[in-house]
Amino acid sequence: MNAAKKLLLAVLMTLATTTPSLAAETVLRAARVEVHDPTQLLAPDAKFWKSARLVEVAMLPQMVAKPSNPNPAIKSLKVRAVHNGHWLAFLLEWDDPTQNDRVGIDRFGDQVAVQMPVKYDRKAIPNPMMGNPGGGRVDIWQWRAAFQRDLDAGEHHALGIYPHAMQQLRELYPNAVVDLYPDEVLRATDARPYMGALGVDNPISHPKRTPVLDQMAEGFGTLTAEPEQDADGKGVWKDGKWRVVITHTMSSAEPEADITVHPGGESIVAFAVWDGGSREVGARKAWSAWVPLKLAK
Amino acid sequence: MAKVYNWQIGREMEYPYEGVRPKKQFAMIFDLNKCIACQTCTIACKTMWTAGRGQEYMFWNNVETKPYGYYPLGWDVKNLELLGVQEMPGPVYKGKTLFEAAPQGERILGYLPDDLDYAHPNVGEDDCTGLMEQGAHLTLPHMNWMFYLPRICNHCTYPGCLGACPRQSIYKRSEDGIVLIDQQRCRGYRECVKGCPYKKTYFNPMTRVSEKCIGCYPAVENGRQSQCTITCIGKIRLNGFIATPDKAREDNPMDYLIHIAKIAKPLYPQFGLEPNVYYIPPIHVPPAYLTQMFGWGVDEAIAAYRRAKDDKKILGALLLFGSTPDLIHHYKLEGRYTIGYDERGVELVRVPLREPIHVRVVYDDKHQAYRSNIT
Repeated sequence: MNAAKKLLLAVLMTLATTTPSLAAETVLRAARVEVHDPTQLLAPDAKFWKSARLVEVAMLPQMVAKPSNPNPAIKSLKVRAVHNGHWLAFLLEWDDPTQNDRVGIDRFGDQVAVQMPVKYDRKAIPNPMMGNPGGGRVDIWQWRAAFQRDLDAGEHHALGIYPHAMQQLRELYPNAVVDLYPDEVLRATDARPYMGALGVDNPISHPKRTPVLDQMAEGFGTLTAEPEQDADGKGVWKDGKWRVVITHTMSSAEPEADITVHPGGESIVAFAVWDGGSREVGARKAWSAWVPLKLAK
Repeated sequence: MAKVYNWQIGREMEYPYEGVRPKKQFAMIFDLNKCIACQTCTIACKTMWTAGRGQEYMFWNNVETKPYGYYPLGWDVKNLELLGVQEMPGPVYKGKTLFEAAPQGERILGYLPDDLDYAHPNVGEDDCTGLMEQGAHLTLPHMNWMFYLPRICNHCTYPGCLGACPRQSIYKRSEDGIVLIDQQRCRGYRECVKGCPYKKTYFNPMTRVSEKCIGCYPAVENGRQSQCTITCIGKIRLNGFIATPDKAREDNPMDYLIHIAKIAKPLYPQFGLEPNVYYIPPIHVPPAYLTQMFGWGVDEAIAAYRRAKDDKKILGALLLFGSTPDLIHHYKLEGRYTIGYDERGVELVRVPLREPIHVRVVYDDKHQAYRSNIT
């Protein structure tokens, strides 16, 4: 048995043993909304979400790749979808008693992600677990609570060469004392070698304009941020619940990396969620099976 | 998991990837009998590499006191406790490595330190195992003891960090075996921080990805030893390249001390990572403790070290420590000198096996003065 078959078998076995009802039985219908400003889609409390039918998606333990997550903290997501002819938007809600939006050595952030095939072909469905090589490329939009915090705090900071909008040392270590940083005395170009991942523009490190990373993958360990970022989002934690909107353009200048969907068309969508308070990160996550998605005309 | 051969435990073992050895392997030897924990190496590394934001707590090089010093807190005893009691009666390890002891669904047995574990880099400094009783006298090993343990990344042959990363963001360079975290590809999952038993990968909370000792690769690429090595005022370090035991070259001081004289030992070889920093065990410390730390053969290593003054090959290699900032690939004894050469055979340094003695008369007739200077 080759590796792909083994993987498929493992996925099927996981599905058979852990899912009482397959998510595939339900269809997620993206209602058409007359909201033309894409920033107005980024509102978890907006009234237009009421026009979209809620689908409850079962979240499964990630047991195929190592490290695994046999007992994920979040068991289901409440999902709604809308589109305005140019942007596709998802509202994801789940219970989470702790708001984990700071990242430190032993602190992990809450995250949620939407996944869709780059090219939807009902005869060649990509592996729901981050796609597969040989035509199974998927587009993944991951919202991170820590990025959301950066952006929310960013109103008070300037977005300069150094991410002053990012969490600062004093937020994590209020009593920290540091004499001098290289970027305080060197020119920006000379200070870059002292900035680690930021100095080489790692997408995790550099300042953000959105809390969502637009990425593609072709299997475990291949997740890569796209050169052009076409996703956006907004998350709000209140009363023990996360309510997160993730949006993406329905087509882009990078058709090999981004989705292409049309009003009246169909595709499939899957989700992943991480509870930072339970130290869930990377492969230690909960994932969903593919859910059929139909876009209203 | 693949099967790989780990010569330090004398057997094959499981590893997440196929065993491919680099063309050359970066290595270091520390003479623990000479380290005084002055931390010059620590500061050389700190100012060179980790002066930036988010790196405040990082010491890619640190020196801790054993048995009660740790950075991060309790790193070694926590790993030993996780792994449990194992058997290493001789050159073939009978116990489990951290890869073989991995819980179901994990790549390696490990733990993620707490934030506060890094808060006390000097904990236990100079703490001895006990107080000296009235009437105590000098014995070997000492009645009560402590010693200093300098540590950098071991640039392991089978790195735990590399094996634990689910994204293959960590790689081992084929040209020199130096292990690096790709700063563009890392996403800060901290699997490497959890997976490295030596806790030599560090999470940067400002960039939100992990970082580690880079083996001063810009220096190594240019034939220079690492910063921590060349700044060591005690001359306790030698940085070079090590071969596998079957390919050991007698004229390579690293190979000679590690494979032939068997004077320098790896740190916690039972973890199974084949670490490439080697330690000359301190002669005043009870062998039971040293065996737990450096594995089988500590008694022989101490015996070899103690006869070094009469063994010119060992002495010649030891005297090259701290003698030149350049990487020594070959060495040769010639008359009363030990000579270090670079990769192309160009002489780098010539060190006398015994420092010449100059006797000067106590009274200087010319200056009509007594000499008190003895240096």
